[in-house]
Amino acid sequence: MLRTALLSCISLISLLFATAAVNAAPLDAAGMQALLTAFDAKMKASADFTARAYIESKEKDKPDVAYQSVFYRHDALDKFMILFLAPKAEAGKGYLRIDSNMWMYDPTVGKWERRTERERIAGTAGQRNDFDPDSLATDYTHIYVGEEKLGTFDVHRLKLTAKPKSKTAYPVVEVWFDQKSGNLLKIQEHALSGRLMRTVYYPKWARQVEPSTNKPVYYAKEIRIFDEVETANRSVIRLEAVDLKALPANMFTKAWLESQSR
Amino acid sequence: MNAHLRVIFQIAWRNLKQGGRRNWLLGGAIAFVTLLLVGMTSLASGLETTMIRSASTLMSGHVNVGGFYKITRTQVAPVITDVAKLRARVQSVAPDAEMVDRMRGWAKVVSPTGAFHAALSGVDIDEEVRLRDVLQVVDGSLDALSARVQGGPSNSALIFERQAKRLDVKVGDDLTLSADTVGGVRNTADLRVGAIVKDVGSLSALTVFVPKTVVRTLYGLDPDASGAIQIYLDDPDRAPAVMRTLRGALEADGHRLMRHQPQPFFMKFERVISEDWAGQKLDLTTWRDEISYMLWILKGFSTIRWLLLSGLLVIVVIGIMNTMWMVIRERTREIGTIRAIGMSRRGVLALFLLEGLGLGLIASTVGTIIGAITIGILNVAEIPIGMQAFQMVMMSDHLVLELRVSDLLSAIASITAITTIAALYPAWRAARMRPVKALGYL
Repeated sequence: MLRTALLSCISLISLLFATAAVNAAPLDAAGMQALLTAFDAKMKASADFTARAYIESKEKDKPDVAYQSVFYRHDALDKFMILFLAPKAEAGKGYLRIDSNMWMYDPTVGKWERRTERERIAGTAGQRNDFDPDSLATDYTHIYVGEEKLGTFDVHRLKLTAKPKSKTAYPVVEVWFDQKSGNLLKIQEHALSGRLMRTVYYPKWARQVEPSTNKPVYYAKEIRIFDEVETANRSVIRLEAVDLKALPANMFTKAWLESQSR
Repeated sequence: MNAHLRVIFQIAWRNLKQGGRRNWLLGGAIAFVTLLLVGMTSLASGLETTMIRSASTLMSGHVNVGGFYKITRTQVAPVITDVAKLRARVQSVAPDAEMVDRMRGWAKVVSPTGAFHAALSGVDIDEEVRLRDVLQVVDGSLDALSARVQGGPSNSALIFERQAKRLDVKVGDDLTLSADTVGGVRNTADLRVGAIVKDVGSLSALTVFVPKTVVRTLYGLDPDASGAIQIYLDDPDRAPAVMRTLRGALEADGHRLMRHQPQPFFMKFERVISEDWAGQKLDLTTWRDEISYMLWILKGFSTIRWLLLSGLLVIVVIGIMNTMWMVIRERTREIGTIRAIGMSRRGVLALFLLEGLGLGLIASTVGTIIGAITIGILNVAEIPIGMQAFQMVMMSDHLVLELRVSDLLSAIASITAITTIAALYPAWRAARMRPVKALGYL
């Protein structure tokens, strides 16, 4: 009995070491695809995802602004909505994705405007993909750059190029994945000209288990965004009060978003 | 008849001269109102001229053939394709007009220390004769944008003094343009400041000129694409007629045209996105359409001018009527005498009307002359406008007043007419006096 338990322990430890050794080794094409697919999968909720996002924005020659918002995702149907709660000037403003169109609602004029998915959300440095990540495995082709150290983390560095017709904001991004956890730690986004536009760090990750499926869903608790063109501009997004409960079916509509500012 | 009229003239002239302080004061008031009218009219003319000059230099021709290209239902770009062919056709319809084509865009201009959003104007500086004439280079050279002079594609930008100050850059410093391509991918272009020019009204805060190749690369456009063909006419007032002719010709050629809307192109995006079509549609506008969002300045100024002048004119009219009443009361016995010795009622009416007319004519002429001299001095002095808000409204960093002979003559004619009309009722009452009663008046 003891022998069996000991053998099981040795087998498990061997497996863990073997997995770590595979993760630590440079990745081939299949390994990269597996890494990206696994990352996409653990980010997606099978039902709904609700979180409060606190955004601190610093811009040159402007006072610092703190935004409070709540965003909703229905990943299965690729729906997304964000509603701003503070500051007062932005309260009631919201973005809603219906099919492939992104709409912005401004309660001060009571009008909806069609916007691109790539624009800054409500004047912050945040973009739609900071709240509702793109699918790295399907939207990009990948090249392995190498193994690196990022602070104390051993990381895989990959260069991803957007596939034609994908709706990503940047045509080229470089990503740094923690070799142990498979979490994304850093991303650098480049313009078509090759110029580095943004560096984004994901220093804190958390997970929550979906009550309906028992599936763990991962999310970055903190996102630090550095503008590389206007280098004085930076933002921090903090996610709190994450909830994976199912949302009412009528939520992802213009009427619902409008009603929140009445 | 002529001798009779001459007598009336003589009496009226003598009465005006003998009017004393009362006529001087009233004449002074009329001259002052005329001076104000001339001043405000010249300010409005100056504003309009500056507006046309700014708009037609920076962002519009007198007539524009622009348009939108929709790749999908929601992806819209202010682009016209096959521009060489289209330009040849436009030239055949308006053979005497000058024309250039410019790229249109909107981008963030970033320096190491500052940034702002600007309307991009992609130009071929070698064909921009008008732009070269109007812009006054402060530093650098417009040739920095010339592919011919540089021996290849240039990556220099032309910016205005105010923009250089805001970005804290000088000639030779680096700039970055950041925008999305027509396909929606983020892109940048690295530039160098090639020339800094004097501000041309408030519109110069919004526009940055770069070579066409820069705009094409930034937005991922083909070489036969442009933003708009800008047509310059000898007489800008002909713009609506030329636009109508062009619309007819282009429609007959099979081009799809947007319904005319008096708005600048950048205010039409929402509407174009909501419309259900794809491909190319042309949009024809005049310079007035392109700056329609600023015409409220002219309208507002015109309203304030007329309100102010109307108030003053009411005071002048009351003053004239009052003075005439007093004159008539003082000269009742004289009216009785001239009526008794044979002057007709019509003669008396003409006499007092001539007095009002003479007073108005002399005073308004004096006011106009003083106004014209003052405006001339102010224009030579180039009085700077300190506050930026006023600069935005006046579209200039200094006071611009424009003297037009027609405006001066119109000021004299209108003030004289008003003073004459104001004298009509007192004159009519004087003419109706019965000589016997007038002679007995004490």
